[in-house]
Amino acid sequence: MADVAPAKKSPSDFLNTILGCRVVVKLNSGIVYKGVLACLDGYMNIALEQTEEYANGQLKNKYGDAFIRGNNVLYISRIE
Amino acid sequence: MSTAASPAAPAATTNPPVQSSVEEPLDLVRLSLDENIYVKLRGDRELRGKLHAFDQHLNMVLGDVEENVTHVDLNPETQEEIVRTTSRKVDMLFVRGDGVILVSPPAKAV
Amino acid sequence: MATQLLPLELIDKCIGSKIWVIMKSEKEFTGVLSGFDDYVNMVLDDVTEFEKVATGYQKTQLKQILLNGNNICMLVPGGNGPE
Repeated sequence: MADVAPAKKSPSDFLNTILGCRVVVKLNSGIVYKGVLACLDGYMNIALEQTEEYANGQLKNKYGDAFIRGNNVLYISRIE
Repeated sequence: MSTAASPAAPAATTNPPVQSSVEEPLDLVRLSLDENIYVKLRGDRELRGKLHAFDQHLNMVLGDVEENVTHVDLNPETQEEIVRTTSRKVDMLFVRGDGVILVSPPAKAV
Repeated sequence: MATQLLPLELIDKCIGSKIWVIMKSEKEFTGVLSGFDDYVNMVLDDVTEFEKVATGYQKTQLKQILLNGNNICMLVPGGNGPE
């Protein structure tokens, strides 16, 4: 299709740029996880390191490693 | 996308056991086989138990499980939230993957 | 013979422009569409997240996100959001 688009970035392009970065993952339930993005797959299953769990903005838990099942994920964003 | 990831078979002979052996998220679960793990489920349920098996849906078989359920009741008169947790032990159970939110090896939990 | 515009072609035309995303739940996003895939997972830039609260909308700003397509209900090209 139109390939003269301004800096087109597919979801997989985006994911490649944020691997290894600190990210925020928000779930549909509203719970937020912050951590280092170790890897992810096509289902948006996510492996995080140094994970912190927040509910209503408050730190609730910490996990060394965490696997998050992709169906719960609302969005992923890099922490600037 | 979804490559033919072998379900519960930990015999990943194709990959050398390098330090960063987590190449896809399910590897993290694979590395936790026969370990005690923490599982967060929908409906404010938490499980701690030994991971015996899992598949690509994250269906799991856990042994020596402790289940914690958090209930939040609202007192209709005072509007205050009453949080209570109930706990029980199960020798062996199957967890359907679609209820899973998070899996973590608790040994490494900070 | 009017060639019809396929749904995903419409979204493709939105790349580089502002788009308003309305989720199945009472949650909405606006941002500049950077890309998407067949599941309508979307990469959005300069995002505002709108969460409905009693008094209106609680807004959160995000530089760039990958939005899971699973819970998207509607897309409005050029939309300015709920406010």
